[in-house]
Amino acid sequence: MKKNKIINIGHGNVNKFSIGGELPLAFVGGPCAIESRDHTLFMAEAISKICSKVEINWIYKSCYDKDCRSSPKSFHGIGLDEGLKILDEVRNSFGVPVVSDFSNPSWAKPTGEVCDIIQVPAYLCRQTSILKSAAETKKPILLKKGQFMSPWNMKNSCSKIESFGSEKIILAERGTFMGYNMLVNDMTSFPIMASTGYPVCYDATHSVQLPTSMGNISGGQREFIPNLVRSAVANGINLLFMETHNKPDEALSDSNTVLDIKYLEKILLQAKMIHETRLEILKKYGKDNVHV
Amino acid sequence: MKVKKVMLNINQFPIVNENTILKETLEEMDKYGIGIACIVNNKNHLIGIITDGDFRRKLLKVQKPFSAFYLDYAIDHAIISPVVCYPKASLIDSIDLMGLKQVWDLPVIDDKKKLVGLLHLHQAISKVLPK
Repeated sequence: MKKNKIINIGHGNVNKFSIGGELPLAFVGGPCAIESRDHTLFMAEAISKICSKVEINWIYKSCYDKDCRSSPKSFHGIGLDEGLKILDEVRNSFGVPVVSDFSNPSWAKPTGEVCDIIQVPAYLCRQTSILKSAAETKKPILLKKGQFMSPWNMKNSCSKIESFGSEKIILAERGTFMGYNMLVNDMTSFPIMASTGYPVCYDATHSVQLPTSMGNISGGQREFIPNLVRSAVANGINLLFMETHNKPDEALSDSNTVLDIKYLEKILLQAKMIHETRLEILKKYGKDNVHV
Repeated sequence: MKVKKVMLNINQFPIVNENTILKETLEEMDKYGIGIACIVNNKNHLIGIITDGDFRRKLLKVQKPFSAFYLDYAIDHAIISPVVCYPKASLIDSIDLMGLKQVWDLPVIDDKKKLVGLLHLHQAISKVLPK
């Protein structure tokens, strides 16, 4: 069990905060893909208002290139240059840190120059060239756990990143394959991944995904998002990730799992309260002490 | 005779660090054919030991999959306050200590807790047995 590491988020003129250990829960949200400049700014403003009301630190998430879509006909993304320009505008307009994933090592440097966090997609979580390029940005890395990975095997990916000189990692659970077209959520993955000392994140919207269940696109059971969020936060996480959209049915990516923004405030309020209660419980009754 | 004369030197026995996983620790022990690994921090201070016996007991107790067990850090399964001896200690006293504690090896540390060697029972006994 490693000592908890604290990760500092934000560079330049954005809201700066830290996550990890017993610090407050933070939130990552936004549409899966950047759909347009106007929609991105609209979503950033809408989520910003909710997070201010809830009093939770947050990071805007949207990707410029969706390289793992099931179908060649699906929206692939707005592109690196245009996407980063829009994300930079979000940072400057709302003072919110931003995150995007990247699927090609050559995209890491420009992504890291704009984004406050650089995200490694789940399917690429053990690709050495991707992890190396992410580490070289020196930005915190949101490392998604592959659906095919055990939580303990994520230590290998962390070791790779550490070997490239970075110890700024956040480990994200996003569901684990159970047979075909089905994900399950194993709540023991949080303490297992937290034993690395790195903060852990729960990606609630991808966790309810049913990969490629609709033939050439992925389905999902978003009705379980609140239940799973409550379980994960009570278990112990540092960061909550939920893709959020104003019109899920029209979302250009992950429309079957993205959370309708009308539900966001209620879920965040619950998550924040559960997180604070968990910390109070641990303070009052002591940390877990059941061992092998 | 002093321990210093008989002990294995730093490059003659398994030494791992606090980031070493159990799989690599076992490989290191196997490489030297010695049933103990000393765990040191970045200042080379001894922070724990793990032995064949510890692995045996863990195998009977730990229920997690092997793939997870292998990836545990050795320090998380280590004895963190092991019995040790010092370079200037008498060899006979140290062998007595091994008998008393029923151990085959004693890490040798200096007065700053820095690991400087390992007293292994085979070498120790061979020095005191009549030729």
